[in-house]
Amino acid sequence: MIMIAGGLGIILLSGILALALERYPRTADSIFRWGVPAGCLAAIWPAVSLLVTGALPSRPTAGEVFGLDALSAWFTVMVLGVGAVTAVYGVRYLERERSKRRVGTAHLLLSILIVAITGVVTAERVVAFLASWELMAIAAFLLIIFEREHAEARRAGLIYLVVTHVSTIALIGMFAAWGPGLPGGGFQELAIAAVNHRVPVALVLGLGLIGFGVKAGVVPAHFWLPGAHAAAPSHVSAFLSGVMIKTGIYGLLRVLSLLGPPPAWWAWTILLLGLASAVLGVLWALAQHDIKRLLAYHSVENIGIILLGIGLGTLGQAYHHPALALLGFTGAVLHTLNHSLFKSLLFLGAGAVVHATGTREIDRLGGLARLMPRTAWAFLIGSAAIVGLPPLNGFVSEWMIFRGLFETGGTTGVLRTASAAACGLALTGALALACFTKLHGVLFLGTPRHTATVAPGAEQGLINPQLALAAACILIGVLPILVIPAAAQAASAVLHDSGGIGEVVAGASVTSAISVAALALLALIAIVWRLRARVAYVDRAALGPTWGCAFSQVTSRMQYTASSYAGNLLMVFGPLAGTHRVVGPGTLHVHAADPVLDRLGRPVWSWVQGAASNMRRLQTGRIFWYLLYVIFALVGFLLYLWFVTAP
Amino acid sequence: MIAFPVFPIFTLLIVLGLAPVLPGIANRTKSALTGRRGAPVLQLYSDLGKLWRKGVVYSRTTTVLFRLAPVVLLATSLLAGGLLPLDGRVALLSFPGDLVAFAGLLGLGRFFLVLAAMDTGSSFEGMGASREVTFASFAEPALFLCFTVLVLATGQLQLAGMFGVPLAAAWPVAAPSLVLAAAGLFIVTLAETCRVPVDDPLTHLELTMIHEVMILDHSGPDLALILYASSVKMALFGSLIVGVLAPRAHEQRVLAFGELILGLGLVAIAIGVVESIMARLRMNRVPHLLVAASALAGLALILLLR
Amino acid sequence: MQPVHDLLLLLVVLTNFWVLGTTRLSATIRATAIQGMLLAGLPIALYPGLSLHIVGLAVGTFAVKAIFLPFLLSRAIREAAVRREIEPLIGFTPSMLLGALAVALAFSIAPQLPLPEMRSYMLVPVSLSTVVIGLLVLTTRSKAVTQVVGYLILENGIYVFGLSLVERVPFLVEIGVLLDVFVGVFIMGIVVFHINREFDSLDSARLTELRD
Repeated sequence: MIMIAGGLGIILLSGILALALERYPRTADSIFRWGVPAGCLAAIWPAVSLLVTGALPSRPTAGEVFGLDALSAWFTVMVLGVGAVTAVYGVRYLERERSKRRVGTAHLLLSILIVAITGVVTAERVVAFLASWELMAIAAFLLIIFEREHAEARRAGLIYLVVTHVSTIALIGMFAAWGPGLPGGGFQELAIAAVNHRVPVALVLGLGLIGFGVKAGVVPAHFWLPGAHAAAPSHVSAFLSGVMIKTGIYGLLRVLSLLGPPPAWWAWTILLLGLASAVLGVLWALAQHDIKRLLAYHSVENIGIILLGIGLGTLGQAYHHPALALLGFTGAVLHTLNHSLFKSLLFLGAGAVVHATGTREIDRLGGLARLMPRTAWAFLIGSAAIVGLPPLNGFVSEWMIFRGLFETGGTTGVLRTASAAACGLALTGALALACFTKLHGVLFLGTPRHTATVAPGAEQGLINPQLALAAACILIGVLPILVIPAAAQAASAVLHDSGGIGEVVAGASVTSAISVAALALLALIAIVWRLRARVAYVDRAALGPTWGCAFSQVTSRMQYTASSYAGNLLMVFGPLAGTHRVVGPGTLHVHAADPVLDRLGRPVWSWVQGAASNMRRLQTGRIFWYLLYVIFALVGFLLYLWFVTAP
Repeated sequence: MIAFPVFPIFTLLIVLGLAPVLPGIANRTKSALTGRRGAPVLQLYSDLGKLWRKGVVYSRTTTVLFRLAPVVLLATSLLAGGLLPLDGRVALLSFPGDLVAFAGLLGLGRFFLVLAAMDTGSSFEGMGASREVTFASFAEPALFLCFTVLVLATGQLQLAGMFGVPLAAAWPVAAPSLVLAAAGLFIVTLAETCRVPVDDPLTHLELTMIHEVMILDHSGPDLALILYASSVKMALFGSLIVGVLAPRAHEQRVLAFGELILGLGLVAIAIGVVESIMARLRMNRVPHLLVAASALAGLALILLLR
Repeated sequence: MQPVHDLLLLLVVLTNFWVLGTTRLSATIRATAIQGMLLAGLPIALYPGLSLHIVGLAVGTFAVKAIFLPFLLSRAIREAAVRREIEPLIGFTPSMLLGALAVALAFSIAPQLPLPEMRSYMLVPVSLSTVVIGLLVLTTRSKAVTQVVGYLILENGIYVFGLSLVERVPFLVEIGVLLDVFVGVFIMGIVVFHINREFDSLDSARLTELRD
């Protein structure tokens, strides 16, 4: 614990110094650039060693305020690893903003956010958990409105602030329902209370699902997420989207670990919510024109995939299939890490594009691969990973969840129905492929649509963090054995059952088969490439214009844009797709509209406002009316009493 | 682990070698049924040979990705072939859930091919790419529903485990489901291999193409790689269909493999027959066909789940 | 091997999907004709004794459902010169998915219904889903001809259910089904021709013009 506390102290100190030394930008920047990774490294070490050796007992001794078990350790590694990378990136990313606003504030807030989230995932007591949770919410809010001159950012921040407090209130309610009179309020006591069957399980799980689900951005409570993540500076978006929303996942898993096996209805709810989030998240992402909003919607999708894993795990618990439970939770936990890697990679790449071109509109960009080749490659790797293609990390975790879904087919009774969810997951994957070929193709390939010039070396200084994340994606994809045992440990911390770890780890032959397949794929690509190079006279290849099918007046405006690329697909889904088509002479615009926010949220909100202003008529200002209200109220209560006491 | 898998490699090589025959058979069937002589069955071999010897022209717009795409496409198809048990029992590479890897590999190939099309900056190729991902989005769920049916019918999680004995044992109890799954797979095959009624490989109008328009800019050996990979893809899906419809439970591996080759020929003929009796669907009706494939597989699943 | 009647019932479900999925009026009529043939085969497959009663039922069903009604319908199309494309109120893909949902629900609900032992476990769910899909066609396809088809499919669903009662209540099914279909189709046929004569259209959505 000392090392973690010390590391977090270093992170916080670097943040404070970055703000305090604003006048000496170079010093402040280099302190932040080296201080945060150093602190993360120090704090990450105990967590890594716990996961590798499995040394500590599954729960630390009672009485501690913060502590580590395998589940906490897994999330700590994720928070600090991604945190370090985004912080380093952020220094360079915000450098030129210095003239406009106090960059040190963002650095300090980011370091506070890293510390707060570490606090959330290591808290051992209710008060410590809620305090860290609230600190995280406030720091994230301030970061979202960092570019507060944009009305859009202020609005997104406001929505976020309201929503995150709904989540906090639900969590306070959950803990209150769990153990109203518990001394100390430690998680240990909660677990003991759960064993003694004094807990209203349905209420706790329902409130927990609201509290954590809202934070994680589960459909239909996702609507705060795209706006908030798009408004923040890109490296902060990477951290919010990659890490912060995972605190919702952590919370669900922690509640499950303390409460024991949930009832079957809750498990089915989780599975269905996961399916809805996955499919709708990617569908709505497909309609987006703003790079960062698109990526943010993909977080909704991936949270859905993680929930599918958790749903499988809880189904395994509810129907007493320990192997299935372990497989589901391992897949969920692993996908949580994987998503944090490739999503932050993609956000950092998007940040580099925004940094270089000054626009987030996909349709105004194009042909960036020539100007920013390394960013394009890193982005390609991130895209393939998020789609779930081999040989990258996204494939490994999606494969585990698919395998779990197929495993349910071998069971009996109603549980077999879960196997049909594989169809939904497949649809998600295929739509994600459409979405990321659109994004990568329109951003980086083809000819430039924009007139803004990109200075050579625009990606300098921003590329190394991306390459590090891309390397992590490839490494986990090719050698999943490096992380699967640790993920299985984290999953078994949820189940309080270390018996099954052996099974998953013994499935090492399976994981090694994936490694063999991945290596074989890379080898085959290399072989075919060599073979082709030998005969294809590549060095003597002729160069020419793109074949325009006998049409020679080709301009870059004729290329397929993001709207036209996704148009076919979105049209099939009709009103579900959340798009608004505007066809003009020679133009087609498909505006993205979030069905939940724009078709449900706004009308309901305006109805509430209308109702509230109608209520104002009650306020007449005449004493006579107020007395009448008192009498009405009295009579009402009397009637109620009569009604209640009547036989 | 195990002895060097001589026989699986041998069978895979034969299937890979014979793959270009399949489009030839399909086209020849179509010609015969429409009263023409048609191109020779072995036409694709000479096409491939000629393309392989030709030079290449690259668009100035393209990047390395464009040259990498055909290579990745072929490599993924070859590896996906390694996951299939061609003699009904043993695959070169097999692990629980390798169905997902099969679909994932084909997805990777598609990912690169589509990006290569976008790389040219051509509006035609962008159109093809858009259509390809649109239709793939509907073919993929259908494919996975068929896989789920197979998993439920056999209780096996790996391709090498389910074809052969478990499927043969499943036939007496789950015949309707398996027939429906095979029908679903066949529709998916038509879509994945770009045949009528989804796409017409013989069309000459760019605006009506899907697959062909995506590869307009590929030339020489690159085009040869893509054409060959498409024929391999047909062989892969054909093997799946044959595996479902005619599971080979007996011990003679050579005989079982022979049956597969025969079955592949029959699948190619079936594709040719469908091509000659059906008109091509309007573009906006293709998703509808693929949803129908999903509905078939879903019905199969319902029958198994009851 | 699976019994033949299960295969026939399965094909009945598939013809339902065909009707939901096709865009051509003539194809829906062909599908109902094929469904009629399948239904004619069903009593023989279900009660293999080949009694006169069963054979009569099969022959009667074949004559009415597979030949007579499709003939009438295709004549109606030809003489009324209807546009041959269907214009559904909800799209083909959604109605297909709704149909799939209906089938799934029918199969999950059917085992819970308090019914006597059936000849085939598929009898009840197939009849339920056929009735629902018939209603779906009836409500979402606005052409008068497709409405007749929807009505026929609905009838076919009831027929399938009635088949399970053939032994217990003889002739109930025959009378009910044949009479019902006859009357229904006659009325609809007359309506079709009258609408066409009066309004030059077979679109029943335009029946609203009849109000004041």
